[in-house]
Amino acid sequence: MGPLLYGLDVIVYIGIFGIISLSLNLEFGFAGLANFGKVAFFLVGAYTYALLSQAGVPFYLCLIAGGLISAIFGLVVSLPALRLRADYLAIAVLAFGEILRLIVKSEYWLARGDWGIRVLPIFPWAGSHLVYRLENIGLVFFCLGICFLVVQLLANSPYGRAMRAIREDEVAAEALGKNRSKFKAQALMLGSAMAGIAGGLYAQYLQYVLPGMFMPMVTFTVWIMVLLGGPANNWGVLIGAALVEIFDRGTNILKDYIALPVDPTNLQYILFGALIIFVLLYRPQGLLKESGIKTKALRSVFNGRSSTKDKRS
Amino acid sequence: MEEALLKISEVSKHFGGVYAVNGVSLDIKQGICGLVGPNGSGKTTLFNIILGLHEPDKGAIYFQGKRINKLAPHQIYELGIVNAFQIPRLFFNLTVLDNMLVAARGQQGDRLFSSLFLRKSWQEQEKGLIDEAMGILEVVELSHMAFSPAAELSGGQRRLLEVARGIMAKPTLLLLDEPAAGINPELANKIFQKLEEFSHNGITFFIVEHRLEILFDFATWVYVMDKGSIVIAGHPQTIIDDPTFYSVYLGEE
Repeated sequence: MGPLLYGLDVIVYIGIFGIISLSLNLEFGFAGLANFGKVAFFLVGAYTYALLSQAGVPFYLCLIAGGLISAIFGLVVSLPALRLRADYLAIAVLAFGEILRLIVKSEYWLARGDWGIRVLPIFPWAGSHLVYRLENIGLVFFCLGICFLVVQLLANSPYGRAMRAIREDEVAAEALGKNRSKFKAQALMLGSAMAGIAGGLYAQYLQYVLPGMFMPMVTFTVWIMVLLGGPANNWGVLIGAALVEIFDRGTNILKDYIALPVDPTNLQYILFGALIIFVLLYRPQGLLKESGIKTKALRSVFNGRSSTKDKRS
Repeated sequence: MEEALLKISEVSKHFGGVYAVNGVSLDIKQGICGLVGPNGSGKTTLFNIILGLHEPDKGAIYFQGKRINKLAPHQIYELGIVNAFQIPRLFFNLTVLDNMLVAARGQQGDRLFSSLFLRKSWQEQEKGLIDEAMGILEVVELSHMAFSPAAELSGGQRRLLEVARGIMAKPTLLLLDEPAAGINPELANKIFQKLEEFSHNGITFFIVEHRLEILFDFATWVYVMDKGSIVIAGHPQTIIDDPTFYSVYLGEE
């Protein structure tokens, strides 16, 4: 029973972090925005969910509100940040994440600071951890599916083409009629909304929120997932999320099964660092390379061409 | 007298103490208009001012009677002024065909809402755009590369794609910055013939080009620029006969 429950727990985490990875993929993979403050929007979603659910709001409204408020934060951050160059944007949003965490940590009236607050679970206790986890897997993967569909549809549309063009060369894209500020602001809003929903699911699953859950390391973990799996490839980042999560948990429990001279938990960060260096050096495009733009019309032209080629040969 | 399509009036721009463009006034009418002059005479800066990439210190620009020199680049583009950069600025990780499709004006699917919820309508539009794009790629001999990343193109091909992308936008005025540089003479000639064809279909060209022999064959009007100012303007034939033209290029009276 133990390993099974642990496995199910990992799957819930993969789903939640899969959503955040997809949102970072939208921002960084497709639109080229280096959002190093991902955890801020995760935090906003989680705290919104927690505070509203305490006030007795139904869970689906809490989730949606978490997404919306996070999107508003995304817009607010985007206004000054989009004037900055890419590397300064990264620093600005990184600082924003830390500021938010310190605010919830020190403003006791808001959410009891470091003590955190309890979040009531959606699903009534059925007397079994197994059922509870399965229910959560269902909810999380339902949300993941919607987010995946949205990002996938966007990536394979003229909108996604314009976003990728802005990522490649924003001056040229602007000279070709793409309002880059608008596209970037929308990408940050949408990405933040998804991170906010992931935050709500996280709060709901763990049944509490604490400032300590939202350290900058969360952002970096999501970055590792995206860079490892392959930016601008939605399947890739989901694989990245799964691999990083399994690796993370694997090193945590390894010592229970094998006798090692060192504690693998402490090695984790070193291994993560080494992993990311290896990926960037030897496979900078990630495990899966960027998926091209596939629209219905493009596909039919492409298929038409390859079939005429086959006939000739 | 025919109304000018683009009217530039007393435009100046300086970088530090250097006047890159100094009190330039010119009119562009239907056809192919050339802009020549030695390197550093301010031709590209003038282009960038027209496109809204630089703001002029002084002066005004009117397009079809509307003042445009306070607009953002993407708004100027929507009005129908399109540019092909001197050094091709392609989207290198996108395919050649996608590079073309980015440039199409008035796309329904490049808005967030319609890309998600009005899929039928932009998919229909995109079919037509792909046909157009493939037709233009055929002309510039790139159709066999349509599904390859733009990064795989050679230098000359990149330049061709840059020009093709500009035509894809169906502009009213297309600015071309040295479209024939680095392309073999035969193909360069062919490109200009195509441009002439397009100009009969209502595209006006404003072209910077150092290969005068080709430009002068096709241009209907030529401006000569030196040290930030227009020094001569006229039909190519009168320009060639003008002694000032030689002094500008050769630096001697």
